[in-house]
Amino acid sequence: MNPKQSRFEDLTREEQGWIESYIDGTLSETDFRAMEDRIATDPSYRAIFRRYLAMDSHLFANPGSGEAERPATGAWLRDETRPLSPSRLSILTPLAIAAGIAFFSGLAFMHWLSPSESIVAEKQEEASAEGFAVIENLSAPVWKEGVDAKRTGDTLSKESFELESGTAEIQFFSGATMIVAGPANISLTSAWEATCHEGRVRMRVPPAARGFKLHAPSTEIIDLGTEFGLEVTDREAHVEVFDGEIEFKHRGGEKRLVEGGAAWKLPIDGSESPTQTGQAKIPNQNDFESQTSELNRADFDRWTKHRDRLSRDPRLIAYYTFEQDGGHLPDLAATTSHNHDGAIVLAEPVDGRWPGLKSGLEFRRPGARVRVNIPGEFEAFTFSAWVRIDSLDRQYNALFLGDGYETGEPHWQIDDQGRMMLSIMVDDSRPNRTNKRGRGFHHIYFSPTMWDLSMSGQWLHLASTFDPSARKVSHFVNGALIHEEPITDEFLIEQLRIGNGDIGNWSQPFREDPTWAIRNLNGMIDELAIFKQALSNEEIVALFQNSRVGR
Amino acid sequence: MNHSSEDDSHYELFVRRFTHFEPDLRRFLRSMLPTHTDTDEVLQQTAIVILKKFDQYDPETHFMKWACVIGRFEALAYRRKMARDRHVFREDILSLIAHESFEEIDQQNLEEEALEHCLSQLQGSQRKLVELAYTPGIKVKDLAAEAGSTPEAFYMRLNRIRRNLMKCIEAKTLSLSAEGGHA
Repeated sequence: MNPKQSRFEDLTREEQGWIESYIDGTLSETDFRAMEDRIATDPSYRAIFRRYLAMDSHLFANPGSGEAERPATGAWLRDETRPLSPSRLSILTPLAIAAGIAFFSGLAFMHWLSPSESIVAEKQEEASAEGFAVIENLSAPVWKEGVDAKRTGDTLSKESFELESGTAEIQFFSGATMIVAGPANISLTSAWEATCHEGRVRMRVPPAARGFKLHAPSTEIIDLGTEFGLEVTDREAHVEVFDGEIEFKHRGGEKRLVEGGAAWKLPIDGSESPTQTGQAKIPNQNDFESQTSELNRADFDRWTKHRDRLSRDPRLIAYYTFEQDGGHLPDLAATTSHNHDGAIVLAEPVDGRWPGLKSGLEFRRPGARVRVNIPGEFEAFTFSAWVRIDSLDRQYNALFLGDGYETGEPHWQIDDQGRMMLSIMVDDSRPNRTNKRGRGFHHIYFSPTMWDLSMSGQWLHLASTFDPSARKVSHFVNGALIHEEPITDEFLIEQLRIGNGDIGNWSQPFREDPTWAIRNLNGMIDELAIFKQALSNEEIVALFQNSRVGR
Repeated sequence: MNHSSEDDSHYELFVRRFTHFEPDLRRFLRSMLPTHTDTDEVLQQTAIVILKKFDQYDPETHFMKWACVIGRFEALAYRRKMARDRHVFREDILSLIAHESFEEIDQQNLEEEALEHCLSQLQGSQRKLVELAYTPGIKVKDLAAEAGSTPEAFYMRLNRIRRNLMKCIEAKTLSLSAEGGHA
């Protein structure tokens, strides 16, 4: 046989693993030598190796190829966010710099090489959401090996749902609800159909979802509007109807109608037989709920410890945890000499990240804001906040804005394309460089797009640092650095201030144009910390890790 | 300034040819070198040498073949400088791979087209995982930690996806040549 006809799948697991680990940098010395011998002696293996490496090279050089659509943020990590990667720049770009002008005399040529020309423009994507079910609740979930962790609120599409232990409640868009207790392996087929290969399941099917089909290894169960339980082990299934009725067909036999209070044993390779109820341990909503709230409470308690620790950090300028007290937003920073408590204007109290335990504020109304006054001069800034964006309705959507945007004052916000923005007014007496109608001399540090509609309603940790001494501005989402930009000489400003300012809005726009001036955030904030130092990347990661839900 | 404008067109030809064949050349070098960083380094060195020697290049001949000769030489030179503890192939194997990769350029271009198609068939979440894995500056360890998972789990998923991609590429390209290739 032509060696080039051999396929990767024909290799042994070990031979495949050599190539995979070689690429991932985890291959041992011994295995490397073994692979090398194989490559030296076997032309088929060599051909497959080259094919695999060619694929690797292509994926590296075109991280976002093969699809016109911009990859959605949110990605693999679900509530985590990553910057988008444009097509990699040509290797000539650094070469042009490294080799210097000597090689490249033509100006036109230099222009041709400029990075901005090489980057593929990002395309706007249409709003869309995939999936037919959503995780309503999770309690102490442990996921099977190799399965990525899911979170409450994640949408599920055609996929297998594998739980090692713990309980999950899945709400199908048909209206059916499934409570699953691990160890379980469920294949989700559609909003109307699923298969339980292993595990214990309780189904609740309201009239609207009548006809929902649940498959066990050799049985098909059609729900006729009811509540029933199913347990599947390796030898048999056990179905029990609590209320209403179901219809099942076992091993292609006759359809049977089963009413509430009856149970059937369904051996995988035998005939069905009626059995006593109460034999299977079907997960129950009540005990699930109490477990969840216990966990929720423990998680919240962990956060309060973090809060108490953080409030003593001497680098804090102000720390708001949104546990408001009437119209008053207390500043928890323990070491500041001024009272930086905020005044709540029109912003509405809502549930925060731990519903029932912690509150937040919603800034949905155009006039909603929290007014603060923070005197003093600072050498750097870190802004860190937990934010839930419902939609980006304004051209600029405020996180924290200094009133007059005067020299040294910050503007921290998100534009309508989902990019984080941080800017500090460098000199309000000098003209704006790019826009005649704009005010003052400043520069806006944009992150790449980090938010799209698919992330609506998710709590995100956003942080930005302004560091004049290290001359850089950084943006972070959920602890991940998504953008870093140097502060050039031109835009260097070392004396920073805040004075009067707004959380979630802007009080003193200097233009009347409403598309520009109205900046209330359509969403919620439930924690905001401002530091007078630029926190390191590691500190931002820790801040995110320590304050997140369900760590 | 006749001289200068001639130079300009000379450079322009170089850049055109080089950027056109850069992905192929990267792929060629990648098969010989352990990491993408090594590949980038040799690719850049190759670009410098090609530029220096560009006046020796005959525009009538195939640029890629000429570039591969230089690339192979640079990879070998780089290999000699590399630390011994790195996973770097013996010189004879490196030459063997280079020789066969060079012979295979057309087949590999076919495979690349197939890969593009196979990528478009991936589920959204799989695509995103692949993109993340190949996004510069992202460490799998951090990714996994943030998601409450392990690097092993991440690699397991990534490898499963790459295995499927290989299967898809091979199904598309090998069956073609098995039936006698294109008419």
